[in-house]
Amino acid sequence: MDTWVVATGMIVSYLVLTIVLGIVANQRMTGDMEDFLLYGRKAGFVVLYLTVVASFHSSFAFLGSGGFFYTHGVGFWAAGAWTLLVGAITYVIGTRIWALGKAFGYMTPADMLADFYESEAVRVTVAVVSVVFTILYIQVQAQGLGYIINVASGERISFEAGTLILLIVAAVYLMAGGLRAVYWTDVLQGVWMYIAVWVGALVLSYELFGGPLELWRAVSEQRPDLLSLPGPKGFFTPGMWIGMTITLSFGIVFQPHMMIRYYTAVDSKTIKLLGATTPIYLMTLYIPAAMVGLGGALVMPGLVGAEADRIFPELLFAYTNPWLTGAILAGATAAAMSTLDSILHANMTVLTRDVYQRFIRPNESQSHYINVGRVIVVGLLIVGYLLSVGTFDYLVVLVTLSGAGALQLMPAILGVCFPGGRTLTRAGVVAGIAAGLVTLYVTLVVSPHPMGMHGGLWGLLVNAAVALNVSVFTTPPSAETIQRVHGEVERFVYGTED
Amino acid sequence: MSDNAPRRSHFLPRTRDGWTATIMFLALFLLAMPPMTHSVLNRTDPWILGLPFFYVALLAVYSVLILVLIWAFLRGV
Repeated sequence: MDTWVVATGMIVSYLVLTIVLGIVANQRMTGDMEDFLLYGRKAGFVVLYLTVVASFHSSFAFLGSGGFFYTHGVGFWAAGAWTLLVGAITYVIGTRIWALGKAFGYMTPADMLADFYESEAVRVTVAVVSVVFTILYIQVQAQGLGYIINVASGERISFEAGTLILLIVAAVYLMAGGLRAVYWTDVLQGVWMYIAVWVGALVLSYELFGGPLELWRAVSEQRPDLLSLPGPKGFFTPGMWIGMTITLSFGIVFQPHMMIRYYTAVDSKTIKLLGATTPIYLMTLYIPAAMVGLGGALVMPGLVGAEADRIFPELLFAYTNPWLTGAILAGATAAAMSTLDSILHANMTVLTRDVYQRFIRPNESQSHYINVGRVIVVGLLIVGYLLSVGTFDYLVVLVTLSGAGALQLMPAILGVCFPGGRTLTRAGVVAGIAAGLVTLYVTLVVSPHPMGMHGGLWGLLVNAAVALNVSVFTTPPSAETIQRVHGEVERFVYGTED
Repeated sequence: MSDNAPRRSHFLPRTRDGWTATIMFLALFLLAMPPMTHSVLNRTDPWILGLPFFYVALLAVYSVLILVLIWAFLRGV
């Protein structure tokens, strides 16, 4: 049987399976908004673990990281550092976000920030930042899906058609089963993608080089420039290393689809165990990615720019048997869809809760808001599709830009979750985010990464400086609110109210 | 608390285990950051278990960092 038939058939089978899971999840829905949007705050460790890692690792990890190793060499091993930081952030900050969400019923990042800073301007600012920058993430996943199905079908299904089909499938099971469907499919996707990346990389390394160690030795002999910093194109300067580490840890964790996951945990111990153990999955997924990218640079040189992101499927198609190729490409589809559905869900939640329910129709029934959320998913799907087929860039570049935007929420979130020191004000927070975003535009678009330091880090530094200074001269939240929120953090962390 | 005066800071640990975990994590994390990555670690020799030094050294640091997080969890930090 032709490889493309098997590969496409396996991806289609996988898609059918996700829709079935969505339908089953729909049967379990209670019609309650918290159940639809937050899994009823009952997610246990296994489900939460797999949905977090599957959402964190996307087509960016499956395709983009291979492309980055291919182009810039072993410097992308910095990825291990930011996955470790994600674990620590989850451990320290994720638990506090969970505690506040449980105590005060928060459903979105903006809920928490608007409550503490007593400001609807903060709510709108955070909601806009959350949605605008994660739409880039939708674009990343959709482009990854387009690549995968285009390669799997031997270019019989166009990139545009593939992107549209997979976006629709993700939207269908999300609309059917809400976050429960997303979590259930993420469990499947998390397991599948991990096995797929490892099996694919090992098979390729044996097929092409005689084994992983022989692969590394061959890279050393033929392309030694890939094995040292700053890499063949001089990309991984110290500033870029630090900037990507901060941006792709804090910046990803503070995106709404990750923060909302903290709200859904059944208890705080689950979040702590999550923080301690997620780096195992997250970091070790980059080990096979390195083999794919570096090995690919030897056997399939010449891929430039966004083309390099296709190295993994191209190698599979060229050098492995059809069934394995199909199974692994279905794993790649899983990687992209598990993040895509999470972001669609998060943006749906933010727009329904922070915009529609707050400002447009505040007193409607739970089922009304659930249906509005479904309509919003359709809108997001259309926007995501148009962006995906209209603009092209490295997947990693898009993810970094997305992370850099969410990173601008960091001072505001730390102000809520860490009592002590000077309290930020609503004016300080809004001014800081605005200054950070302007700085991002300058340091990512106008003059990328000045002085070799990542633009996201420049944005964060300016943001924090402005937020702190403006807060000196403006009105802080009321003493009652500070006492209520920080008192809850104090009680949760230390069991006292200070 | 009757006003918005600063509470005891949450940026500093309050227990011995908390301090140990924080210092261990930060010290190890600095090993995986510049300037270490771009100077001391930035070489392929000696190869360890058939893998280049840079790759193995960082893998070791990352692995110990995971152990620190697990230790903190087990100690209830």
